[in-house]
Amino acid sequence: MLHKVKNNYITSVKNHVSQFKENSFRKLASNDFKSWPSPREETWRLSRLGVLSRKEITPIIPDFKKKFSSVSQFNGSIIIRFVDGALRKDLSSKLPPGSSLNILGEEDSLKCLHKFKDSNLKNHPSTNVSFSCTPSIVKLTIEKDVNIRNFFEIIYEGGDDNLSVHPALYIDLQDNSSITVIERFNHLSSLIMPLQLIELKKNTSMDSLKIFSDNQQSYNLSANCTFLSDKSNYNSFSVIKGGIFTRSETHAYLQGENCNLNLNGVYLSSKNQHHDLTTAIYHDVPNCTSKQIVRGVLGGKSTGVFQGKVRVAPDAQKTDGQQMSRAILLSENAIANAKPELEIYADDVVCAHGATVGEIDDEQLFYLKSRGISEKKAKQILITAFLKDIINESVEASMQSFVFKEAELALSEIISEEI
Amino acid sequence: MSLLEIKNAELKLDGKDILKGLSLSVNKGEVHAIMGPNGSGKSTLSYMLAGRDGYELEGGEVFLEGQSLSKMEADERARSGLFLAFQYPVELPGVGGISFLREAVNSRKKFLGEEELDHLAFVKEVRKVASKMFVKDEMLKRAVNVGFSGGEKKRFEILQMAMLKPKISILDETDSGLDVDALKIVSDGVNAQRNEDNAIVVITHYQRLLDYIVPDFVHILSDGSIIKSGGPELALEVEKNGYAGLINAA
Ligand SMILES: Nc1ncnc2c1ncn2[C@@H]1O[C@H](COP(=O)(O)OP(=O)(O)O)[C@@H](O)[C@H]1O
Ligand SMILES: [Mg+2]
Repeated sequence: MLHKVKNNYITSVKNHVSQFKENSFRKLASNDFKSWPSPREETWRLSRLGVLSRKEITPIIPDFKKKFSSVSQFNGSIIIRFVDGALRKDLSSKLPPGSSLNILGEEDSLKCLHKFKDSNLKNHPSTNVSFSCTPSIVKLTIEKDVNIRNFFEIIYEGGDDNLSVHPALYIDLQDNSSITVIERFNHLSSLIMPLQLIELKKNTSMDSLKIFSDNQQSYNLSANCTFLSDKSNYNSFSVIKGGIFTRSETHAYLQGENCNLNLNGVYLSSKNQHHDLTTAIYHDVPNCTSKQIVRGVLGGKSTGVFQGKVRVAPDAQKTDGQQMSRAILLSENAIANAKPELEIYADDVVCAHGATVGEIDDEQLFYLKSRGISEKKAKQILITAFLKDIINESVEASMQSFVFKEAELALSEIISEEI
Repeated sequence: MSLLEIKNAELKLDGKDILKGLSLSVNKGEVHAIMGPNGSGKSTLSYMLAGRDGYELEGGEVFLEGQSLSKMEADERARSGLFLAFQYPVELPGVGGISFLREAVNSRKKFLGEEELDHLAFVKEVRKVASKMFVKDEMLKRAVNVGFSGGEKKRFEILQMAMLKPKISILDETDSGLDVDALKIVSDGVNAQRNEDNAIVVITHYQRLLDYIVPDFVHILSDGSIIKSGGPELALEVEKNGYAGLINAA
């Protein structure tokens, strides 16, 4: 019985593929989608997708007449809007000089697929399903020497019950360019499988902020593959608060020297939510630094997962890799899992990691209470500080207050349930 | 009625007797010093008074202005006017100094039925008090106690005391880790707050602090109880002969 339903989705993916004319890459990808990952697969052990195989899901056919519902949160931002996984140029901004937005043809789409297939995201369900079903792969190009000050605000919305949504975005930063990208996932209840390929060419810099705030019945299985060339900087921060199941998986390949990479984030989980931040950093060359700092606050019966892999190749001397995760549990029924994975094959490296899961610190709580502050208020102060601390440290200054506000909304929900 | 009355306090930690029938009575307008060797139970006494979890009395009782503290949580005690300056002030990453002080002061004001200060008025007030304590503006903007030197932490404790205007303050080894200049600043800060309506209990290992904050009474704490009480001259005796002589004699 289970098996049959599972096959249904495979069949509907295949059917969906057949409606496209240019479908070589789609066929390749759909042939590789044989099932949802099994819990026996190491990276899916803590985040199980079994429940998806019991659901009757079909890939969405985008409705190009749908109106948008999420409004911009930033003055002067350049909006790029995806509805039902499809780019809506009519609901997006005009791009500034030096940047362009294109739909990839078959050949380039195939090249994109190969990049995923050569990476460790090759078997990720979003890789296979979204390359099969995406309305199109959208490429954002920033030309050489172009620095765009205004934020790109990418809004992903739409979706509906029992439908899967497949936005695919390829960001190409050419030499010496820089951008700031804010992505907001605001889907209605659906299965969202966003694909993202980022290429940071020489001496580029990208600040990225992702807010996962899909509706509370949604599943989001975001897969991001990022390549860094010489002297490039990728500074990414994720806030995971939406969905019943949200997993953000990022694989970053440091392929040029003197790169700097941050894959930081927070998850804020309540009720039955399952949140997962999975990162993998591949230091393939010497002299790069990377950081993964993750914090979680959990209430209700929620689960949080942080899986952070750092691989340092034999040649990657002078690597500096830091990883730190901390979770605070506000409820006895919440669970936080942290799985650091360090594979270090070079000898001249500095790699530090640590993970803690616990309750609010007793001593800090007593200190606040000894100043007349009620227990409830004291806890609120400490949890807020726990998040503020990492936000101030990891988020670019001009986005801090926005991120803090987004986090605070979810936090007040957790707190009202628990304290 | 005494301001603070400790009657036969008994307390265990980890199954071990730490306070063994300690009694002390403090009246308004008085400064008491409690001196004792390391491990004699000084910090335990101060945590018990402040109401830390795990420091509940096994026997005896404590009264603040005649009201039993046994059923009061730490925050309630603080709002009622009890203040503890910590031996080791706790770092609060991400909690800004000003907002922390404001939360604390407003909690106390609310309890007293006084009007809470708005942000601007509050900042002005803090700055005024802080400058007397040589606490720089820059320090108030940082997270509470994070990256503070030993001396800065102690000054910040006394600043909190000055802002909260407690009835009874317990200063747990506020002198430890201070050089002479810092000791003088902190002591001046404490002395400025002495008045006829409040009282201060200074806990210390060394006599040195008592040159600056001159007590009315000195008590020697040893192995969980007070073995001798007297005037300031008792502190000089400790300085001269050490604790051993006093403890053996008792
Ligand atoms: N949490 C604890 N559990 C068990 N014993 C403790 C604990 N904290 C302190 N003690 C013991 O209680 C005694 C008194 O400690 P403390 O009050 O800190 O002394 P003082 O402040 O006078 O140096 C010491 O013997 C110490 O080892
Ligand atoms: Mg002590």
